[in-house]
Amino acid sequence: MDLPIKNYKMLIVVPIALMVISVAILSMHYMQTGDWFNRSFELTGGTLITVETKQVPEIDMVENALSAYKVSVRTLTGFGGGKLLIQAEASADSEAIIAALASAGIDTSVSSVQMIGPALSESFWIQAQIAMAVAFILMGVVVFVLFRDLVPSGYVMLCAFFDIVVTMALMQVFGIELSLASLGGLIMLLDYSVDTDILLTTRCLRGTGTFGERWRSSVKTGLTMSATALGAMLALYISGLSPVISEIAAVLILGLCADVILTWVQNSILLKVHMERKGLL
Amino acid sequence: MSVMKNWHIWMLLVFVVASFLAIGMRDYPYGREGVKIAYVAKESPAFGILKQGMTITALDGKAVLDANAWKSMSLANGTVKLTADGKNYDFTVNTTLGIDAVDMDRTNVELGLDLQGGTRIVLRPKTNATPETVQQIISILQTRANLYGLKEINFYPVTGIGESYVQIEAAGVGSDVVDDLLSKQGTFYSLINKSAPIKGNTASLRIGDSYYNITFGNGTINAGSGEIQPGGKFTLQDVEFRYVSATNKTVELLAKVFDNDDIELVYTDPQQSGITPQGKVFFFHFTVLVSRQGSERFAALTKGMDAYLDMASGEEYLTGKLYLYLDDEQVSDLNVGSSLRGQVISTPSIQGSRETRDAATKEMLSMQTVLRSGALPVGLETVSVDVISPRLGSTFFESTAYAAALAAIIVVALVLIRYRSLKVAIPLIFISFSEVLIIVGVAASNDSKIWISALAINALIVGLAYWKKEHVDTSGVMGAFLVPLVGLIAWTIDLAAIAGVVAIIGTGVNHQIIIADETIVKTEEEKKKKTYFFKDHIKRAFFIIFGSAATTLAAMAPLIILGIGMIRGFAITALVGTLIGILVTRPAYAGIIETVMSKK
Repeated sequence: MDLPIKNYKMLIVVPIALMVISVAILSMHYMQTGDWFNRSFELTGGTLITVETKQVPEIDMVENALSAYKVSVRTLTGFGGGKLLIQAEASADSEAIIAALASAGIDTSVSSVQMIGPALSESFWIQAQIAMAVAFILMGVVVFVLFRDLVPSGYVMLCAFFDIVVTMALMQVFGIELSLASLGGLIMLLDYSVDTDILLTTRCLRGTGTFGERWRSSVKTGLTMSATALGAMLALYISGLSPVISEIAAVLILGLCADVILTWVQNSILLKVHMERKGLL
Repeated sequence: MSVMKNWHIWMLLVFVVASFLAIGMRDYPYGREGVKIAYVAKESPAFGILKQGMTITALDGKAVLDANAWKSMSLANGTVKLTADGKNYDFTVNTTLGIDAVDMDRTNVELGLDLQGGTRIVLRPKTNATPETVQQIISILQTRANLYGLKEINFYPVTGIGESYVQIEAAGVGSDVVDDLLSKQGTFYSLINKSAPIKGNTASLRIGDSYYNITFGNGTINAGSGEIQPGGKFTLQDVEFRYVSATNKTVELLAKVFDNDDIELVYTDPQQSGITPQGKVFFFHFTVLVSRQGSERFAALTKGMDAYLDMASGEEYLTGKLYLYLDDEQVSDLNVGSSLRGQVISTPSIQGSRETRDAATKEMLSMQTVLRSGALPVGLETVSVDVISPRLGSTFFESTAYAAALAAIIVVALVLIRYRSLKVAIPLIFISFSEVLIIVGVAASNDSKIWISALAINALIVGLAYWKKEHVDTSGVMGAFLVPLVGLIAWTIDLAAIAGVVAIIGTGVNHQIIIADETIVKTEEEKKKKTYFFKDHIKRAFFIIFGSAATTLAAMAPLIILGIGMIRGFAITALVGTLIGILVTRPAYAGIIETVMSKK
């Protein structure tokens, strides 16, 4: 028994195409804005006003009420009402904005204001990049120690890297900004991605039976894992608990979908080719 | 083999029970009913008597049940009898007691500001500050907060790339109070007008009994230390002077009389500080004790100073007015009575006025506090402000329960579809919920007795397992001793921590699926030989689990070391959760699955 498709090596075009499109999306964004992706107010500086409402008002209505201010308005619905999210510059007068909302008939009694200056957010952004890079390197070291073989460990990390790039492109497409929350989501994704790859690599390198059998058993386990994680994230996303949780859930939903292709197509093919070359099969 | 024969499962149960107790067991020294004081207003008759954190149980003999009831009860007139922390107090009330109270804590879990409401401010030193300077700033701010009666306010140093910040978290306090009081550097000084009369080509400046010559011309003056432009400074006889302007008759200067170092004591007792209405405004005044040096400086600078008669009050004042500055902003100016001329005054009174009694009280208190705590080594600027209204969190827990239930149903359904066995799915959900419980239990505060007991019971369990010659693995033993010790630390459960719990439960479910999968599915070889080696299966499962846990630790470690404020809670929770997972809950799940498999 072997892999389900004869010309399985041809399938490598799928992850490659995915990667090319993702890089294209990010590059286009870079050419348009000078930044690879949209960063949230936490990472660029700004003010976020959150108003908890029983009934979420129409965005148009809110935008009209706040036409005097430079703001962007989003809403979030879930169990137990919804939230109105208004983003403005760091120097914005949040009290005036809340007053304007109140005079438009919106109950602003439960609200929060988060302001972050450009200097601190810049520091956050630098820290975030370092954290991401260090996390990636440390994980690479751990994976190498696990398998003591540079090639499969490299494939695991390559897969994780592609996963992050593709997810970041998907975030652009779906309008999710890079924030501290989505960054947390990306690090979680890195973790999940490496998990499935470790599963695949362990089963393939150390399992018994033909490669097809080993692969099949790991796909079954891996897809169950991804499905339960996706299901749980979907539950969190539709619950609309808080913008933080929803953002993390959204990032993971996108990332886990990308991971299914990257792990079970890209990494499987690379691993099989590697094992054939080494005469392990 | 019964499930209960596995010592890992016993240990898990110990942790579940300990966590329940750690979260929910509280002392109620004054009974279960009452409210906790959040804030005592300055105008309150109880100000200075009742403190933040005390428990009010009864008012005029009626029990105070909750914060809502307190709101209407605290509106009263006349004399009321109040029971707080078991003691009785009598207060004379005018319309309101002026005490804000919140419901009593029912758990030992400290909730983050994003869940319970409050203010979080991040301040940045205006010039580069070392970690030691930040510590010094924090201790001064702590003093100020205590003096202001704000007990439940937390200060944390936050380190960025090459920069240090001070993060302040205050539950239930408005941002204006925090910002107003804490971001002030508190550099205090007072200046007095000093004129040097011109005789011929030079002006003569008198300090005490000495006279100094000042030459002038082309808009600058020279007091012997070089040409000085208007606004420039020079020092004579240890007194700092500022050059203001020159007329035909005089050179006008400002002399520094006192600064922070001269303030030795700030009097706050009613005899020496207070508010008095006068016409349309309210005057505040308080006395300070000035150092010997400072009072002698005052004497020297006012010696021989001219005086004038103020027509409005009929009093005679010195021509030199005294100006008080806080952080380079003038806060008040005082006339100095002519009787004080040349006198060594050690207890001058600081005065000022505001349009309302409220504003005058606030200003007085803020000045007293800043003077008492001293100046910060460097100035601070506000770089981030979060204000979260308290009710934001109230619906949150209900929604969280729904979300958790929904997620559990989806996971159970998927696991059932895959394995068609409730014996796999039910323990999986039980383990996941106990994992949440243990993480929160470990995060809870005031739980040292419980965790030390858990440690003792675990030692007993491990000892018994060893005695009964069961397999005692290193990681299980580490879990038995390490996790209760981790239980001694406490951290705040905020949104980020909840995200960390979500991450851990996600990987936890994944790992349990790996355990179930590795153990349930027999290899082709075993099918042929009709044998089954549980140990081999579990070994491979744990290779994957430990490997993946190690990568989680690797991913979270940089987040903890880099102090990105909000992400930290996420990383700590994920780290501790991973530890609990690999040392306690995964082995327990493997134990359950082993029993299930051996029954087949």
